[in-house]
Amino acid sequence: MTRKMMLPYAGIVLMMGPSSSGKTTLLDRLIAEGILMPSEVISSDQFRTLLSDTIFMDWKGHPKDEADVLFDTYQHISKEAFEAMDFMVEKRCQLNKLTIVDATHLQSSDRLRYVQLARKHHVSISVIAIEASEQQLLEWDETREHSRGKKRIRQQQQVFKRQIRYLKKEGYSAQYVLKAEELASTSFERKANRMLLDIGEGLDIIGDIHGCFDEFMDLLVRLGYEKNEEDFYVHPQGRKIVSLGDVMSRGPKSLDTMEFFYRHIQAGLAYMIDSNHGWKIARWLDGRKVKMQHGDEKLAAEFEQFEAVHGEEKARDKKEAYRQMLLKAPSHYVLQKNDIPVAVVVHAGIKDEFIGKHDQVISDFCRYGEVEGFDKQGKPMRKDWFQQHQNSQLIIWGHDPKPQAIFIKNTVNIDQGVVFGGNLTAFRFPEKEFVQVPAQQDYADAKDNPLHIWEEQRLTPPNIMGLIDGYSVQVEQYGEIKVPGKMVKTALDDLSHFTIPLEELTYIPPTMSPTPQVSKLSTYLEHPAEAFAYYRSNEVNKMVVEKKHMGSRAVLLVFRDEESAEKYIGRKIEGVIYTRTGRPFFQKQLGKEVLQKLQHDLKPYFAKYQTEFILLDAEILPWNLKAKELIQKQYAHVGEMAWLDRMKRKEKLEKAESNGQAIQTWLDETNEQLQHTASFRKSFQQYIWETTGIEGIQIAPFHILAQSGLTFFDQTHIWHMEKAQELSNYSSMIIETAYRVVDNEQSEQEAIAWWEEMTRDGQEGFVVKPLNFVERNEKGQMVQPAIKVRGVEYLHIIYGMDYLHPANLERLKQRSTNKKQKKALREFALGMEGIQRFVNRESLGRIHECVLGTLAMEADPVDPRL
Amino acid sequence: MQLNIKATGPHVQVLSHLLAKNPENVYERSEKEAIVRLVYTKFEVEDVEVFLYAVPDPIELVRNAPDSYDITQYINDREFAASSLFLTYIKSALGTALNGRPKEEYRQWVDHLFPFEVAFGPIATNITDDTIQALFAPMGYEVEIEYGDINYQVKFKEQSSARYITIRGEQTLQQMLKHIFVLIPVLDNYKHYFLDEKEIDKLDRYGEGWLEEHPLRSLIIKRTLRFSPLIKKSKFQLSNKGQELEKKEESGEPKIKLNDLRYEAILSVVEKLPHKASIVDLGSGEGKLSTRLGFLSGVKEILAVEPSQRSQLHALERFEKAKRRAGFIEPTSLFGSLFYSDDRLCKKDVMILCEVMEHIDEHRLAAVFQTIFSHYQPTTLLVTTPNKEYNQVYEMQKEFRHSDHRFEWTREQFSSWARTCAEQYAYTASIEGIGEEHVSFGFPTQMAVFRRGEE
Repeated sequence: MTRKMMLPYAGIVLMMGPSSSGKTTLLDRLIAEGILMPSEVISSDQFRTLLSDTIFMDWKGHPKDEADVLFDTYQHISKEAFEAMDFMVEKRCQLNKLTIVDATHLQSSDRLRYVQLARKHHVSISVIAIEASEQQLLEWDETREHSRGKKRIRQQQQVFKRQIRYLKKEGYSAQYVLKAEELASTSFERKANRMLLDIGEGLDIIGDIHGCFDEFMDLLVRLGYEKNEEDFYVHPQGRKIVSLGDVMSRGPKSLDTMEFFYRHIQAGLAYMIDSNHGWKIARWLDGRKVKMQHGDEKLAAEFEQFEAVHGEEKARDKKEAYRQMLLKAPSHYVLQKNDIPVAVVVHAGIKDEFIGKHDQVISDFCRYGEVEGFDKQGKPMRKDWFQQHQNSQLIIWGHDPKPQAIFIKNTVNIDQGVVFGGNLTAFRFPEKEFVQVPAQQDYADAKDNPLHIWEEQRLTPPNIMGLIDGYSVQVEQYGEIKVPGKMVKTALDDLSHFTIPLEELTYIPPTMSPTPQVSKLSTYLEHPAEAFAYYRSNEVNKMVVEKKHMGSRAVLLVFRDEESAEKYIGRKIEGVIYTRTGRPFFQKQLGKEVLQKLQHDLKPYFAKYQTEFILLDAEILPWNLKAKELIQKQYAHVGEMAWLDRMKRKEKLEKAESNGQAIQTWLDETNEQLQHTASFRKSFQQYIWETTGIEGIQIAPFHILAQSGLTFFDQTHIWHMEKAQELSNYSSMIIETAYRVVDNEQSEQEAIAWWEEMTRDGQEGFVVKPLNFVERNEKGQMVQPAIKVRGVEYLHIIYGMDYLHPANLERLKQRSTNKKQKKALREFALGMEGIQRFVNRESLGRIHECVLGTLAMEADPVDPRL
Repeated sequence: MQLNIKATGPHVQVLSHLLAKNPENVYERSEKEAIVRLVYTKFEVEDVEVFLYAVPDPIELVRNAPDSYDITQYINDREFAASSLFLTYIKSALGTALNGRPKEEYRQWVDHLFPFEVAFGPIATNITDDTIQALFAPMGYEVEIEYGDINYQVKFKEQSSARYITIRGEQTLQQMLKHIFVLIPVLDNYKHYFLDEKEIDKLDRYGEGWLEEHPLRSLIIKRTLRFSPLIKKSKFQLSNKGQELEKKEESGEPKIKLNDLRYEAILSVVEKLPHKASIVDLGSGEGKLSTRLGFLSGVKEILAVEPSQRSQLHALERFEKAKRRAGFIEPTSLFGSLFYSDDRLCKKDVMILCEVMEHIDEHRLAAVFQTIFSHYQPTTLLVTTPNKEYNQVYEMQKEFRHSDHRFEWTREQFSSWARTCAEQYAYTASIEGIGEEHVSFGFPTQMAVFRRGEE
């Protein structure tokens, strides 16, 4: 008769038995049979050799002085060997590997050390003890290479007999005592990890159903499942259903839902994981004393009803079936694609180090998430467990209802509170698409409806402690962006005094780099050729060039009506217009007038696209609207000073010359400088015109950033330009922007000619953008979203009136845009992230961390002339 | 930047010897980042004119500037303005004349009075034409001021901010140069380098013989030395005159006195509170109130919360000084803001917003006080703010007492706000006045004292 023994898939297995009992022989056999890998077995002998080059030391037959030394040495080596071995066992436990420890493990303390280790790392531990008669042991000892000697074997056998009685109380998940003579007839096998789930033809992961069976049925239909003649919902492509748990309680049809999963799990069509309600109901069905509340009482009532109709026996059968189902539900599933664990499905949350492991602590964590104390009403206070998630496995979870399914820190919450009147969400994997069905009603009718609470708390002020010492933002398009604390404080100072309210500040435009290389031409600092070359070197061959208006950068958030404004920013206003530093663009009254006009003019646009708002990146003209003081105090003032200085000098030098002084070169130089001064004074005046009220104000949008439910980062810049043109049809205040597409040598030359022409009379220049809003090179790195190329004349007002003087230009050309470029990319990514979060109506804190990030980066000085 | 010295009449050709510059030659030297040039535009028996100018290298100039990351750094009037920088460039060209040490045979001319017409500029200054007159008149000059060109297509300036000065008077060459070397930096708006004790020496040397009696002595010294520790070291005493020319405090109220009264009123309320061990001074600014609270007995912890790092530094200095006195509980300076939530401020005995709320846009008040009342939940909350009605007593020219005030409330507005808050958050509210009461307008400052209902 052969006996079958199961070895765990991971954890610790302690071999136990006196020397020469056959432990190593058994393990060698299992390795030979392919049941164990050689690396899964570690032994004290192995570590003694690794550490000291000797496996055994014999002090028998030595004189006492020598024997003592040998004994001491052996003890010492053993001690070090065990320490090294324990270290290795611990590391393997952390990695969720199986480790078989081949040592005698005769003393309780030797074994308990490993019990603690296993518990610490949430893996199982078991013991396999091998029992042999003393006679056999002595026989085997004599035949082995390093015989231990009769005395030691007898001693060990005595200890073994005594210790074997304690095993039960030492807390193993299993302990086996095998008779040495039966080993040959015992076969061994490895258990599989129950938590691994192959994604097969695809999975549809369903958020908390809570007895909303009708919505669930609708969802299955929308997902493409078809009911077959045996009443099973089957997907034509072989997809399967995974429930995140909490299928019952609170809602109207818990039994139907449980029955559905019971049958479909049995049939291999569905899977379900453990959950807080699931576990509670399992214990209730198990006959334990459980307080049926928080919607569980509805389930109890359903069972009573069932029993009344179908009788006690049927009810008992059902209860038993469901009990089994719920108890068997694993704490989480690790989804495997091509044998690679790509995602995790869990009810409430999981720590990275728990993934793929199983014990009581993990089960609790997976059911309830991270709980930190209780609030006044005795409800658990949830902590954001996902903040610690670091690895690249996507964690799909539910439990904590959120109005929108949102990716946060590479996790996604798909409980949209159907039972609270929200939505039932399915997350398709590996497609990562959402399919939703709205609730027919608010079934729970709870006073503390989590969706309502979430809504009320959405705009609560961000927690400053999470920001001031620096923080990082997980950005969809970029990865992690670190925001250092020093700059955060400078930005917060500004946000505390000068900017518009945080909830209205949804986006700060990124900085823009000039051409990464200066012009090769001797009379230019910047030239379009270098911008085109930059993109082509990044495998971008189609570009859009947009004329740069000389005004001031502004962000416009215009709402359709007061209700929409209140919904998004909590205040009934027309909208906001702010500068690139987050300050109000206009003074109060003028701003209101501009917004009122825009809101009025865009009414048909809002209706046509069914949007509650539009978010625009734009330039507002004229320049003096915003920069009046700068123009007066800097540009005009310096021009006047230069003119006065040089005119007076000219007068004196002419007099000196006419009196015979040889200063022709001084005079020529002065005349040339006067010309520079004149052109400097002319160039800044081009961007100035008088406005009265809203008369004369022009808005040139160039990015249509967002509308209700939508961002437009997946569109080309041609689309954005066309959209701007469309907007200009709605309002006389909005102007379109001239642009061209560059995709070959000819169009490039034409664009350069266009640039030459527009900049000749002092226009600022143009901006070169890749065709797509977000563009990456072959290495997958994001390329600059835009490069500005400023005209020869215009740069006078940036670099001073004499910058073109060869000696000046040569030195100005030694500039580096590296830092500016890096910053531009990070700010660009943060900008998109913040807008996405705003569109998703995420919490203020989540939106604000993006905005603050950009403002903090802008507080870090980079040469402002770039 | 230029200086033109002209003199007509007998002996004026001696000036070339006093200057030690040959009228036949042009003079050109490099001084630091500038080229300095001098030429006689005229050299007749009774008509001599010498022109001196400097052209700094604009790029070197901004590279050495301290505020290097200002957007307009290459657009900089330093390249043109007659300033102390200009004087450092031309000092060695004029060394002989300034020191009054020509060749032996011309020594007698050092003290000779010439009828000078001296022009310099352009200058960028916030000093009025009248004051410029008043700066030169005591030494017997007539002053003529020209303005720069503001012929712009859109009129956005009433007057140019560039001026060119001509002064006329009988002076020795040395005296005239000394006047200019002292007064050009006084006129200039900008201090171009770090001021140290050398500056005092210079002032003392060039001011010798005329500055002692100058009626605008104070103004000259203050504008030259810019900050007080140096002023005290100058041999010239500050006079009271000239102070009226200095900018007045921006505040429309007699600030010092009312401030003190406000602190006293707050302290006397806090003193009487049964629970006052922990206090939050929200918007603590430079820490004046927090410092006073630190001496109050029964207080064990003060959190001075402020979002301005600059103010925080001042506060830290203040606390450091106060620590030398006995019985001082040093406040903890926290970086914080009203627009964020901060768990460190929860459940304290007393929270104070002293002259803070009026700096918040009115529509943001609700959210700020929601955080205070329902999240921080102080046992007692003190809020002070100006009484708008009282502004009539000050006969102010502007809407608010301070340019950063977003609103100011009447007594009715404030008390009705306080009542609403109290009702909404289960507090009780009482209103007190601070300062000198006016029969019809009440007190200049109003204070609400909120107490938590359940306590």
